[in-house]
Amino acid sequence: MVNQVQLMQTLAAAVDAGGPAAPLAICRSAAEWLPMGGVAIAMMSAQDGAQEPVCATDTTAARIDDLQFTLGEGPCLESFTSGRAVLVDDIADPSEARWPIFTAAAAETGARGMFVFPLHLGAARIGVLDCYRDTPGGLDDREIIGALHAADAAVWVLLDRIGQRTISAEPSTGGTSGRDWFDGSALTRAEVHQATGMLLAQFGSTATEALARLRGAAFASGRPIGEVAKDVLARRLRLSPDGTWRSEPPHDPPLT
Amino acid sequence: MTTPPQGREQLLVETFVRLADTLVADYDVIDLFHQLCADCIDLLAVDAAGLLITDQRDSLQVVSASTEATHLLELFQLQADQGPCLDCFHTSAQVHAPELRAETRWPRFTAHAIEYGFAAVHALPMRLRGLTIGAVNLFHRRAVAMTPDQLGVSQALADVATIAILTDRGTRERDQLTEQLQAALTSRVVIEQAKGVLGERGTIGLDDAFSRMRDRARATNQRLTDLARGVVDGTLDTDTLLRSSRSDRRPQD
Repeated sequence: MVNQVQLMQTLAAAVDAGGPAAPLAICRSAAEWLPMGGVAIAMMSAQDGAQEPVCATDTTAARIDDLQFTLGEGPCLESFTSGRAVLVDDIADPSEARWPIFTAAAAETGARGMFVFPLHLGAARIGVLDCYRDTPGGLDDREIIGALHAADAAVWVLLDRIGQRTISAEPSTGGTSGRDWFDGSALTRAEVHQATGMLLAQFGSTATEALARLRGAAFASGRPIGEVAKDVLARRLRLSPDGTWRSEPPHDPPLT
Repeated sequence: MTTPPQGREQLLVETFVRLADTLVADYDVIDLFHQLCADCIDLLAVDAAGLLITDQRDSLQVVSASTEATHLLELFQLQADQGPCLDCFHTSAQVHAPELRAETRWPRFTAHAIEYGFAAVHALPMRLRGLTIGAVNLFHRRAVAMTPDQLGVSQALADVATIAILTDRGTRERDQLTEQLQAALTSRVVIEQAKGVLGERGTIGLDDAFSRMRDRARATNQRLTDLARGVVDGTLDTDTLLRSSRSDRRPQD
């Protein structure tokens, strides 16, 4: 049974708290309030193919990630590559022929249903959220909705993690992170995506880094990400090629 | 604008023949939606059209509009919170507001729609068996009720949009709805990101950026989403895109 209220509250709390423990808190929230045996998050890079297991609620979930990265195939890799959710009702079903090597190896884990959600925002591709359970059977609508919310929360906290790795990370004044995510479905707004594209062109980076920088600027100034995006679109705020932010009066017409 | 009856019938036939041709080919769902919105303008004498689909998190997202003007996109997106599309989505029934000035159901949406010069709005559900996956939104600058004939055509166009999502390439039988809806939403996000990249590099408006990508995709027989992804990933030379698009418009270049 899905407890949507508890799920959303615990996800928002995890996003709000932030920090290195946030991804695991999101996995735990999903494992507790959705009917899942375990949940894991992995980061991947479309550029260099790097794979990094971030966290898992239990050894089975960790093992499922591990196997796929070792064997080079499986629902996580397919979801990351295709950008689609990959929902496997029963990995032990003999007719499941998409990943023969992984499927054979996965039998040892006892997992049956596997449900992977891409952590993507358009061309910004960050990783996957993958869930398993030890009974076969698909997800119902409420379970899918819950898992999509958990994936949204995971994108949000992984952006912070990526932002901390980029140069001149924004100083954190803290504050609105969880609410921004919870109230506004902030990462669905067109201006956020448009501003990501502009920053990418200014800074010469990837969509993922550009989005992480936008998120970092919002966090540092305690403002919603949509407002910061509007400043970028109005050319009031831009990224120098060296990665520093510049506020300036626009010399080009605003992009509206 | 009124088309003579015979001309309109001809246009209807041509439109649905073209849509059927597209649906059996390798089409781009966002490009097709954009064309559908243009068809609404041509066939239904409406002034603006948009298409919203569920993000499966109890909200609607704009995936296409008859023009990419930012204010129009915002007006459609406002309906994630309130408005005819959200009501249409929740009730799976057509919603009609032929006289916005007398409308009381959605004060915030109505105020913005009137501010942008619209006087009437209609929403038609995108239905699939027992499910509703989105809505088509039609705006008029004059207060007007649509005729049963126009509503029939509108609903048929909405049904084509539903079919287009479900038959987009890569569909498997199971789980297709979640995957297809997410794929359509992702396409839209990639296109918005690419608009930003082109807008910055070429110092052009975002609606212009969209038109250039769509024209190029059609001219080179690429899917709009693939082209937009190339712009964002850096695998497509945007200088060429920006330059050649300009020379298309100004043969002297």
